[in-house]
Amino acid sequence: MSALTLELREKRDRLGLKGPRAAEWLAAQGIALPMTPNTWTHSEGAVAAGAVLVARLGTAEFFLEDGAGGTTLGRIAPALDQSPPGVYPVLREDWAFLLGGDEVHDVLAQVCNVNFAALSLTSRPLIMTLMIGVAVLVVPQSAGDGGQSGSAKRHYRIWCDPTFGPYLGESLGAVVIECGGRYTGVSG
Amino acid sequence: MTHRLEAHAEEWLDRTAPLRFTFEGREYQGYSGDTISSALAAAGVPYVARSFKYHRPRGILSFANHDSNTLFQVDGVPNVRGDVTWLRDRMRVSAVNTFGGLWRDRARVLDRFARLLPVGFYYKAFHSKALFPRWERMFRTLTGLGKVSLGAPREATPKRYGFCDVLVIGGGPSGLAAALAAAQAGAQVALADEALRLTGNGAPPALVRAVRDSASITLFPATVAAGYYADHWVALAQQARMTKMRAGAVVVATGVIEQPAVFRNNDLPGVMLASGAARLAARHGVAPGRRVVIIAANLDAYATCLELHARGVQVAAIVDLRAVAESDAAVSACAALGLVVLRAHAPYEAVRGPEGTVAGLTVAPVNEAGHVDASAQRRIDCDAILMSVGWAAAMQLYLQAGGSTRFSEELQQFVPVDSPPGIFAAGRMNGVYDLESRLADGRRAGSQAAAHVGFGVPSGTAVARSTRCPSHRFPIFDHPEAKNFVDFDEDLQVKDLENAAQEGFDSSELLKRYSTVGMGPSQGKHSNMNALRILARIRGVGVEQLGLTTARPMYHPVPMKLLAGRSFYPERRTPCDAQHGALGAVWMPAGNWRRPEYYAVSGESRAQSIDAEVHAVRSSVGLIDVGTLGKIEVYGPDSAELLDRVYAGRFSDLKVGMTRYGLMLDESGVIIDDGVIARLGEELFYFTTTTGGSATVFRELLRLNALWGLDCTLVNVTGHRAAFNFAGPSSRGILQQLTDIDLRDEAFPYLAVRSGQVAGAPARLMRVGFVGELGFEIHVAAGRGREVWEALHSAGLPLALRPFGVEAQRVLRLEKGHFIVGQDTDGLTDPLEASAMWAVAMKKPFFVGQRSLRILQARGPRQKLVGIELAATAPLPKECHLIIDKGAIAGRVTSVTHSRALNKSIGLAMLSPDLAQVGRDIHIRTDNGDMLAARVAAPPFYDPKNLRQKADAGA
Repeated sequence: MSALTLELREKRDRLGLKGPRAAEWLAAQGIALPMTPNTWTHSEGAVAAGAVLVARLGTAEFFLEDGAGGTTLGRIAPALDQSPPGVYPVLREDWAFLLGGDEVHDVLAQVCNVNFAALSLTSRPLIMTLMIGVAVLVVPQSAGDGGQSGSAKRHYRIWCDPTFGPYLGESLGAVVIECGGRYTGVSG
Repeated sequence: MTHRLEAHAEEWLDRTAPLRFTFEGREYQGYSGDTISSALAAAGVPYVARSFKYHRPRGILSFANHDSNTLFQVDGVPNVRGDVTWLRDRMRVSAVNTFGGLWRDRARVLDRFARLLPVGFYYKAFHSKALFPRWERMFRTLTGLGKVSLGAPREATPKRYGFCDVLVIGGGPSGLAAALAAAQAGAQVALADEALRLTGNGAPPALVRAVRDSASITLFPATVAAGYYADHWVALAQQARMTKMRAGAVVVATGVIEQPAVFRNNDLPGVMLASGAARLAARHGVAPGRRVVIIAANLDAYATCLELHARGVQVAAIVDLRAVAESDAAVSACAALGLVVLRAHAPYEAVRGPEGTVAGLTVAPVNEAGHVDASAQRRIDCDAILMSVGWAAAMQLYLQAGGSTRFSEELQQFVPVDSPPGIFAAGRMNGVYDLESRLADGRRAGSQAAAHVGFGVPSGTAVARSTRCPSHRFPIFDHPEAKNFVDFDEDLQVKDLENAAQEGFDSSELLKRYSTVGMGPSQGKHSNMNALRILARIRGVGVEQLGLTTARPMYHPVPMKLLAGRSFYPERRTPCDAQHGALGAVWMPAGNWRRPEYYAVSGESRAQSIDAEVHAVRSSVGLIDVGTLGKIEVYGPDSAELLDRVYAGRFSDLKVGMTRYGLMLDESGVIIDDGVIARLGEELFYFTTTTGGSATVFRELLRLNALWGLDCTLVNVTGHRAAFNFAGPSSRGILQQLTDIDLRDEAFPYLAVRSGQVAGAPARLMRVGFVGELGFEIHVAAGRGREVWEALHSAGLPLALRPFGVEAQRVLRLEKGHFIVGQDTDGLTDPLEASAMWAVAMKKPFFVGQRSLRILQARGPRQKLVGIELAATAPLPKECHLIIDKGAIAGRVTSVTHSRALNKSIGLAMLSPDLAQVGRDIHIRTDNGDMLAARVAAPPFYDPKNLRQKADAGA
């Protein structure tokens, strides 16, 4: 049994990039990239502590988040100060949540019209959708993908615009609690 | 318990668990397993409702949750559906739509005035404008069913999304067979049925068990598929929640709905549909009466007779509308039992007994043409009349899905002819009636549906439709004294439809709207088919030529609580939300944001606090959170070109380090947004939009950028950047302590933009002046917002800083005469009318709205946005109060406030151009009709030369 939990994650270094040469620039920084839009990978190509999650939001749009204790983004971000042509930094101040537990799909079915339970994780999909009226980026993961350790169950990492963060946390947390889970919110 | 039958094995009751309940204040007993309706029927309650218009007593009709007779007020909750609501102990049940209770309903007098209330009478009688308020009050009192009780318990009704490969709607034999076939092909199946329990409705028990036991089939009992939406999205209304089911394919096995015969007094309590009587007896052990007459036009009538007879109900007679007996085992069995069958007879009149319920049925011979020989009528004593004269296909979901139908003369029902992709019809609604055929049809549909979503290969061929006609072609019988009801919800009689057609409303659509047939809670389930038949007779055409109307979703009444769900309201909060709360913010909604309207201070009224906030900005310094403004970046070689095209002003010549006001128009030249555009680099711009416009503007710019193929990229950072306006004569001195940017005029002139650090956070500063004072808009990353706000706030306190909210900002900007898009402009306002042509560069080769604006320039403005002034002592008009000139509307007030700094009331108004000269006296009509004197004035009202925001005004 795995307890249903919604957790507001601690702030980590994040970076967004857009532009026709964003992929090329990231590769030059040694960042492994997902090959297709709407998928994600780890910068090292495998799970490791501090590995950067690299999400490809479009042909020329990326979202990166350092792993716990990671320093990669801090290392490469200063290079953007040189304004490399065709590479445009995107400020990402998202709120991040982790939703997991046995009843996770029951919760998701009440807040989103994507059939998460039917997703295959082998292609590492990422989903950009609306969750209770808020645009979110969702990465489904299982243990071993660098998410919550100690759980063989699937869990979901969710990012949203920071101004919707309190609403999403409170509303999603209320559903989680109603379903018998708990919400470990921290001050955003 | 006068109508309870002997217990039998299949009934749903637990007779060891009695339940007590009250109805209209009287106490009754039912059993666990009863519904409200079955318990009332078992208790022998003579009638359970009053009709909508004439307040005639009504009893159980369909016992299928299809009619409006069994809507009840239960423990404070209105319009509870008694046919499908389990009885609970201590339930308090009462009828709806009564005045003084069911038994002594004062409005029953309306039945006597029925002749004075013909079809469409309200269109003809209640059109007087002067008397309309009286009629409105009267109708609001008379109409409506249950009463909303604010004290009723609030029930959680969360919505959820559901997903399946194949959705089967209908739990009869064909639906079950379809579900099992689809599941066996490998599909995940959802099966929805409106009955409280899945019984199969005559399906083989082994099939019912197989469906129940299948791990691939999810059952949705007591569920109404209330609406079909695009891409096989079906609204499943359950008792406690709405499930939005997204299916890969849908099997529509919705069956048929039994139709009433139309004859005089066919609405008396005790007249009911035979299928309802059979369900009452089989599931709940309730006799529809002790001595019943069945009006028959199909084999189902005979089967029902046998079932009731077997349970001890006396069948007084079978009144068969047809002259020729069908060859069938049920017919033979009835004959063998000695049941009286009157062939070629029709019901002429239901006889009312002393209690107002059925005491008998008068029947008369009927010929092939449907003419009744009233001279040969005879009476049969009975206490219940059961109608089994035909069916109408439950076709609405199929029609909503885009299916097309034709009317089958052979079956006397509409049947599917062309199903859209992914929709598969099966069973009786498909015109297939005998059991084996229904099972085969279901298997075919289930297999095809599964194959449609990639499971297995379709098997089975089209099943031949029935050759026996289950429905009478015209079960409608005239009577000189009428009261032969077609629509029980709306108390519509045959003559009402005839009169409507005679008045010219002779198409199915017009007839519906004029007479309201099919517009009650039943949504025409029992009336549309007969109304079509009557209309066809009047016009001398076939039903096929009239066609079937498609009801819009929801086809079946759905409680508002199910639609509401959890009532999510996405609300945005700025990073400093907690700081505002701690400072006493009184919140107001602004778009989907919550913003401080003002900051409440102990000992101050709302007006005093707002006044003090305004005064702080004018005299020293104020701080407002403007993080709600849209904030967009545009990068790339074509950035300036994009902005030149989407804004009316010119930005390609904007110098790096400077800002410029921008006005955005739509193609028709109407103002849709505005903001400040800052050039941070040759190929980098940063601009703001209105609070409510950020998402729309961003989407539109993305669209246009893609359309034009420009080499630039847009980034929406609205939520990712915090922003504050730090304004007032002391602002520069305070801010200089916190930033490394040189704020002096020569280094940072008015309308410049600079990057640097504020309170240790990377920041963009714009020197702009919406509030008309020296001020700086400070933009930082959202995560640094709180610390920067607190640093500014702390640094300003020694100089009497006050945080200010939206209301103070409105006063300040109004003193400067700045308009707000969407408040002072509307969906037709162009820059000419808003006196904003200074922000338009007509000489540019192109911008969105330019061509329209040229046309508008040639035409001249139809209205002008002007400043207005009122004496300080005059009452303050409201925004949207009208300006009256020579008795006609000449404009409206768009913004108005009292200005302490100016000691007068000021505002903006949209005014007819011929009145828009400065100094012109105008008159504003207030709510109570008083006229307020005002004068057209030239904004800005405060600091007209803009000296204070351009220079160091005394700091």
